[in-house]
Amino acid sequence: MSAESDMEYSDNDGDDYDYYGEQDDCDMEAVDRTKSDPEYFLYTCLRVEEVEKLLNESIELLSNSLQITPSLAKVTLHAYEWNAQEIINKYKENANEVLVYSRVKSRSPVLQASTSRSSCAVCANTPPMHKYSALACGHYFCNDCWAMHFEVQIMQGVSNTITCMAQDCELRAPEDFVLSHVTKPMLRERYQQFMFKDHVKSHPELRFCPGPNCQDCPKCQICIEKNGGCNHMQCGACRHDFCWVCLGDWKSHGSEYYECSRYKEDPNMSSDSQHAQAREALKKYLHYYERWENHARSLKLEEQTLASLKSRINQKVMAGEGTWIDWQYLWDSAKLLKRCRYTLQYTYPYAYYMENGPRKELFEYQQAQLEAEIENLSWKVERAETTDRGDLENQMDIAEKRRTTLLKDFLEFHTTTASSSKV
Amino acid sequence: MANIAAKRIKREFKEVMKSEEVAGGSIKLELINDSWTELQGEIAGPPDTPYEGGTFLLEIKVPETYPFNPPKIRFMTKIWHPNVSSVTGAICLDILKDQWAAALTLRTVLLSIQALLSAAEPNDPQDAVVAKQYREDIRLFNLTASHWTNVYAGGPTVIWEFNQKVQVLIDMGIDEDQARVALSTFEWEIERATEHLFS
Repeated sequence: MSAESDMEYSDNDGDDYDYYGEQDDCDMEAVDRTKSDPEYFLYTCLRVEEVEKLLNESIELLSNSLQITPSLAKVTLHAYEWNAQEIINKYKENANEVLVYSRVKSRSPVLQASTSRSSCAVCANTPPMHKYSALACGHYFCNDCWAMHFEVQIMQGVSNTITCMAQDCELRAPEDFVLSHVTKPMLRERYQQFMFKDHVKSHPELRFCPGPNCQDCPKCQICIEKNGGCNHMQCGACRHDFCWVCLGDWKSHGSEYYECSRYKEDPNMSSDSQHAQAREALKKYLHYYERWENHARSLKLEEQTLASLKSRINQKVMAGEGTWIDWQYLWDSAKLLKRCRYTLQYTYPYAYYMENGPRKELFEYQQAQLEAEIENLSWKVERAETTDRGDLENQMDIAEKRRTTLLKDFLEFHTTTASSSKV
Repeated sequence: MANIAAKRIKREFKEVMKSEEVAGGSIKLELINDSWTELQGEIAGPPDTPYEGGTFLLEIKVPETYPFNPPKIRFMTKIWHPNVSSVTGAICLDILKDQWAAALTLRTVLLSIQALLSAAEPNDPQDAVVAKQYREDIRLFNLTASHWTNVYAGGPTVIWEFNQKVQVLIDMGIDEDQARVALSTFEWEIERATEHLFS
């Protein structure tokens, strides 16, 4: 049952029953979500610009009231989890302690600058005095080395926590110091992107959206990107196989009955109010729309696969690895996949308008069968060069048969009536 | 190889060669190729440890981005230690990972690895089996580590009982190193070790 329909019952639970362990499972849904589900909380979706504005407000507040640079304000906010008021209070009490805690100032006294500037301890070069710089700790290194250090760190995804190059020195480089050494536009941009992500992660009231298109791997939670048309996803980090549509384990899709495509109507719906019925209707619409749109996106990605496959075949032919005829099956498989995906996409509007009954059940069964085979085909086409040719051609045949069966059973009816009316 | 990396390694090589540790025979460093990308380190097992008297070889690979990234170091000599993989020789040491600083040198790294042999960190293990033995039966751990030092690193302590047990498994047709790992893992009980090897 959906979260919305729970609200219909919310009037009844003023009594604060303790349902846990005493009631049957079927009654669980009547409890207010905030009480029954410890993970449930209210939230608002923000756009990137809105998040930036929110962060900038804290930064400005801090830098104005304490008369520090925005760069320094960011470091302290990051260290104190964006609690600006706490920082202001503590800073007025003991400014030094705040800076030490934020790792922009060392606890021990600063080194004598003159002794450490005969040659750079990292590259062993001896540039002129003015080409050295140091953080507040006084560990001087030449500017070229700082630039290299920052480049390596940024390429590894480090931003807020880049430290000094000296041994056992934990001082962190603030943004302005980093940017004064990094000149490449690509690196500067990357750095700022990572900073932003780090800030969101360190902010107690912000979370990255776990919804579609901002999807994390359902197993190891690493950020993933859908880079091909296939809905059979495999996480690059933990190798977990899962379904893009339902985020469930792919294992339950391969051999068992595939039913991500089917919409399951709420059996209790008829007894609900008019509002609930309207919501149910919207839910049903969104179910079909989302799947239609997902396959539309997949279709676009399949086009990219087709293009890259074509150029790869050309390369092979140019390199003398067989002729175009030898590789044509790859091209055919990608074209077939596109055709199948197109058909599948438009089965969703068709299913949406179908009336409930055995015919719709049959249609959705065939649709599910087709979808499962298309995902198998898509998986194999994306890995075409490492898949056995026989295996691939077999899969092509299965997918095409499923497609034509479905079309024959359901499209024929319309075409025959159309042609007969013409006559 | 990047200019900075080669220059740094050349300087560090000289630094190690002039150091008192080399003079005292506790560390050594050799070049493997002319491009300064591969070196071989050598450390002596520290006194009052099961590694005493042994000589341990280290493979040192210098990345293109050195010294902004740490060198890649592993034990080439087999060793029984909670922070070193008994199979691959991979080392778990903070300064070779996130605590690396560009101002660290090969000399300090070699000395840190040597120090790791005297003071293991069983709560941050590279080899879980060894770490478990270290925590639960330090006496057996010390004996096993001495035995490995004797067999692989030329240490002086011969433990006849362990040698005989390894020989029993060799006579069954099992590879010597595999036999030693299995026996070390299963508290030198021949039955459990063979059960594991033949399962």
